[in-house]
Amino acid sequence: MASVHESLYFNPMISNGVVQANIFGIKDWVTPYKIALLALLHEMSTTKPMALLDRRRLNKLILPLQQGPDLTFEQLLSTVEECCAPMVNAVKLRLFLMADRELQDMEHFFAILPNAFSDSEAYKTSVVGLYMRQMLLAYNKLSFSQVYKLYKTLQQYCRQGQRPPRDFSTLAAEDMELTSNDDPGADPMDGEELDAGSLHQSDLGCDEARGPLSQKQAEYFLARQAYLLKNDENKAMRPATLQEELNNILKFNPDFAEAHYLSYLNSVRVQDLYISTHSLLHYFDRLILCGGEGKSNGDEGYGRSLRYAVLNLATLHCRFGHYQQADLALQEAIRIAQEANDHVCLQHCLSWLYTLEQMKGSDSVTLTEDSVKMAAHFCLPYLASLGVQSLVQQGATQGIPANRLLDALRGTDVVHWKQSLSELVEISLAQTASIWRLYGKSTMAQQQVQLLLGMASLESVNYGVQQNNTEPFAIALCHLAELHADQGLYGAVGDIIKHLKQQFPSHTQHSKLWMLCDLKIQFEKAMNSGKFHLAEPHVTAIGALDSMEGLYRKAQLLRALNQMSEASKILQQVQQLGVKKRNTEMIIRVMLATAELHWDSSGFSASLPLLLQALTLTHTHNLQSLESETILHLAFTQLMLGVPEQALALVQAVLESVLAHGALLKKGRALLLMARCQAVLATSAPEELRLGKVEMAVQTLAEAAVFFTQLGCKPRLRDVYYLQARLYHTLGNVQERNKCALLFRLLNQELPPGSSIAATPL
Amino acid sequence: MTHSSSLEDTRNMAATLSGEFADLAQIKKQLISVIAQCKERGLVHSVKASELAFSLPSLPLDEVPPALPLTEEDALDLDALCLAKSYFDLKEYDRAAYFLRGCRSQKAYFLYMYSRYLSGEKKKDDETVDSLGPLEKGQVRNEALRELRVELSKKHSAGELDGFALYLYGVVLRKLDLLKEAVNIFVAATHALPLHWGAWLELCNLITNTEMLKSLSLPDCWVRDFFMAHVYTELQMIKEALQKYQSLTEAGLTKSTYIISQIAVAYHNIRDIDQALGLFNELREQDPFRIENMDTFSNLLYVRSMKPELSYLAHNLVEIDKYRVETCCVIGNYYSLRSQHEKAALYFQRALKLNPRCLGAWTLMGHEYMEMKNTSAAIQAYRHAIEVNKRDYRAWYGLGQTYEILKMPFYSLYYYRKAHQLRPNDSRMLVALGECYEKLSQQIEAKKCYWRAYSVGDVERMALLKLAKLHEQLNESDDAAQCYIIYIQDIFSCGEQLEHAEVSTALRYLGQYYFKNKLYDEASLCAQRCCDYNDAREEGKALLRQISAVREQGESSSTDLSLPIVFNPLSNTTTPVRRVAPLDLSSVTP
Repeated sequence: MASVHESLYFNPMISNGVVQANIFGIKDWVTPYKIALLALLHEMSTTKPMALLDRRRLNKLILPLQQGPDLTFEQLLSTVEECCAPMVNAVKLRLFLMADRELQDMEHFFAILPNAFSDSEAYKTSVVGLYMRQMLLAYNKLSFSQVYKLYKTLQQYCRQGQRPPRDFSTLAAEDMELTSNDDPGADPMDGEELDAGSLHQSDLGCDEARGPLSQKQAEYFLARQAYLLKNDENKAMRPATLQEELNNILKFNPDFAEAHYLSYLNSVRVQDLYISTHSLLHYFDRLILCGGEGKSNGDEGYGRSLRYAVLNLATLHCRFGHYQQADLALQEAIRIAQEANDHVCLQHCLSWLYTLEQMKGSDSVTLTEDSVKMAAHFCLPYLASLGVQSLVQQGATQGIPANRLLDALRGTDVVHWKQSLSELVEISLAQTASIWRLYGKSTMAQQQVQLLLGMASLESVNYGVQQNNTEPFAIALCHLAELHADQGLYGAVGDIIKHLKQQFPSHTQHSKLWMLCDLKIQFEKAMNSGKFHLAEPHVTAIGALDSMEGLYRKAQLLRALNQMSEASKILQQVQQLGVKKRNTEMIIRVMLATAELHWDSSGFSASLPLLLQALTLTHTHNLQSLESETILHLAFTQLMLGVPEQALALVQAVLESVLAHGALLKKGRALLLMARCQAVLATSAPEELRLGKVEMAVQTLAEAAVFFTQLGCKPRLRDVYYLQARLYHTLGNVQERNKCALLFRLLNQELPPGSSIAATPL
Repeated sequence: MTHSSSLEDTRNMAATLSGEFADLAQIKKQLISVIAQCKERGLVHSVKASELAFSLPSLPLDEVPPALPLTEEDALDLDALCLAKSYFDLKEYDRAAYFLRGCRSQKAYFLYMYSRYLSGEKKKDDETVDSLGPLEKGQVRNEALRELRVELSKKHSAGELDGFALYLYGVVLRKLDLLKEAVNIFVAATHALPLHWGAWLELCNLITNTEMLKSLSLPDCWVRDFFMAHVYTELQMIKEALQKYQSLTEAGLTKSTYIISQIAVAYHNIRDIDQALGLFNELREQDPFRIENMDTFSNLLYVRSMKPELSYLAHNLVEIDKYRVETCCVIGNYYSLRSQHEKAALYFQRALKLNPRCLGAWTLMGHEYMEMKNTSAAIQAYRHAIEVNKRDYRAWYGLGQTYEILKMPFYSLYYYRKAHQLRPNDSRMLVALGECYEKLSQQIEAKKCYWRAYSVGDVERMALLKLAKLHEQLNESDDAAQCYIIYIQDIFSCGEQLEHAEVSTALRYLGQYYFKNKLYDEASLCAQRCCDYNDAREEGKALLRQISAVREQGESSSTDLSLPIVFNPLSNTTTPVRRVAPLDLSSVTP
């Protein structure tokens, strides 16, 4: 037996063994704060002459005051004071009149309350009218002892407002002293909380003044936090604080199932599998009860929540990368959904099924297509467009013609705007940007990114959330950073990365995106400026985030360090991985890198078949940027094989697209190559034309030099100066030649001695 | 210290007893005096001490301890104390406290504080009923607690608290959720007054694990042995607890109903049903009007399906007091056994109305709802049980079962795993886990689970059968045959008749298995045994015919080639089959 001191109280919440969260049928009840609020409303409707501006400010204040958690009297008064100073005294007076006299005065207040609203602008169905009526209803249902208790708490409430907060009576002071060391909640808010700044959060720190949230207040709190978690995690409460708050809510009302769901979201945020599973299951156990009570569709609702419970479990496992578990759960969800003929749920399952397949790395195009068809059939626009987007993503990597992809995206965009699915609009924009970048159209990509960033979110009106931090935004910003890096604008890149760091702190879900992007940029920068020792640590870091990319970068570094055989081995490895994951972009890049390795061992003819193969691939997949890159490689090979005319023709053919869309480095390289071809051709040209041709080559070199200088690409700049010096020498321009030679000499001293001239062939 | 050595330590601790048990008369004297003290202070714990005192031989008149001498302060407060005690007994706590406010003696001070505490508790309970709103129910507090704490802590630091007051201080601290401080105070209380069982009991509720138990420095007194036994039971260290109780009874406390009931509960916890039933019957003989622990007794009767006994118990308890949690649980069990699940659920609800924190009732109600196929209500009941006590493995198991019934095996895995975590050596959870894995076609995991279930001592003797069938499905005939062999041995060795035993299935499979492997002697043996069972008789006979056919064929082919095969089938029925010894499969045991 338990101790005799366990209270044997009768629990009114239990009837027939079913605990009803709400036996009174009211979601709200009267608290002193609410009486104060009612007094304020009463004053507002009775005092007719009021400055228009004051009235407007007060009106704007009403809703947050009604929805928010209970404030202390002081807080309430100071909030009101900001809007309308004379109102404060009126409210204060009315409340003190009530509190300092008899119980009867409170009764009187509630009796005259409806009169004030009968002839004012507050209609019965307005927010204020409803609130007032709810409060009256709740008040009228109270028994005498409850009314008395309410009056006592009201007195306390007013008295606390009268004196400075920390000055309690002697007994209480001692009491405080005792409790202070074991009651961390009593400590008013730490500094971190303050920057959150909003009215609701600042007072959550101090525990004493705050009673439990009423159901309405709790609902509002949960909805707001859930919204913030989804859209702007940084503005939501910190994980630990939020969890504490949720535990608090659950302590007061263990039947408040939604709190469990938020706890699930919150623990997913910090990657806590244990608590998230626990909360999720607990939530659905509770939800099943609510469904069991049967609002309108009785048994149907109950079975429905069961299906979604399993589906949610599947998504949870998916998220943590437990693919086998996710698969099992998903199959279970599909089975019970099939048994119940729930097509909507089945569609959700199907869309998760192809997502899962995709995550596992297997082909899911057929599944996705089916999903889109069925979703369209059942009029589920969200799922249908999600499917289309997924198809587009797969199509882009598999070389489906660009016009079809973009057409498909445009088609879904129409649906998004019609149904105002802002989430999908964002995804669509980010996806378009990615596709343009994949195709090598940097300007178009940039335009799409700007469109997304500039677009005010459709839902931003609600809570004043300015900047979303969803995945599309992270991707778009990463693209932007890389595009800027391509143009050598490293200052801007730094700013963007800094912003990303703020928006997506490193513990959050999407932080890996910008980390990888940042590392890639750093790596490129180091490689370009010939500081290989700086690039080396980045390789390891990249490998941790993306193993294939890491291997590729390692091969690049090894090649730069003249460790050809190791580089070649790693490239073979990457090639295999790329084939396995069907990453065409990487396959082509590996081919190019392998061709470069062939050059280094003077196997120019050996590199030709590789390059031609790469060219075919780029053609079929519309990868223009890689295509021009491949052509440049081909041109170089031809130049080295002694066909400069052909080489020049090739370079000139792609020069336009390179200059239009290419990165600075690529532009410079193309020009450098062209100059080389021109220089070689000049030697074989007839005497009278030779000088003119050399002049042309010199000019091209000068243009290339501009690009390389902007980028700080010293090894290539050195090559340019060398060539320039030689050409000036042929021209007999001694002064210019000496200048170039000097520049060359300076750069050559600066750069590591290992890298000789022509180590950078292209 | 490693885990194993610490376990060893506890074993040793469990075996030894305090030396004071040599002098039972002394113990009895102590008991009598402490009972008197408790009564003066309105503490109801003395009932346990009285029980114990009753079980000891009575003392001669001259040895009965006299009442404690009164001090001067006591004499001063005597009238007020008398008056207040009367009010206290009438549950008018505020009134009692009012008349005691100026008193100075220890006794009066304790009663003063205790009435204030109880008054606060009573008001709290009353207020819970009409709190302002549903969300406020967790907020209702005993307002007196803080004041009491302040006053008591002042006195405590001045060193003016006696054993009883320390106990009250501890209770106040516990109610304020200051558990660490509460433990310290309770330990101090046991040192100040080791005979006061209430302090020990409170301490026991606060101990969560063995490490914590070891870290406490407890007074060396005979009460300590009772305490240790109680804690061991609470911490599910049943073996140690039983050892301790055993030595207590050996020390001369054989007649104590308290010890008997505790041992019975311990046996119940390790599912030694026969032992527990015997003890409970003994208990009821000695103490026929006892209600405490009778719910446990009814659980045992339920498990054994002893309808008449259960019905007798239910009638008896209703006559004694029908508004007790235990009574309601017994009646619930009774109806459940009679398959009147609605009524059963009703009685469990009544038990919960009497005490919402009654864990067993929540779980049992969940079981009833399950029987009624009201899964959502069942889930709710189980969830409530878990809320009351997170370590209730039956509720977790019940949740798993519910979801399994809803055909969601993957979902129920989580719950079964939870239950398994709490009872790692309980085969039922393992079998349930195995079944789920089987449904999910995760045969490897399922095999592991079944094997583990068998290894930890299979209660329902189903694990091996399931394992064998699983092997059968996977065409691992050798493994399947071995499992069936062990299964048959198991069933026959345990002796009792089990309803669901599927010996025939096992025999049928074994017969076929031996036949396929050309071990005809064993095959025919199995086939003959098959004939003992109705459902396998035909197949057994068919197999026997096949065997003899093959044998004839084999013999004819090897020994007498000239005889045509056509003649032989007839001789089969006429020749008596070789007499076989009773099933002896020891040669093929792994």
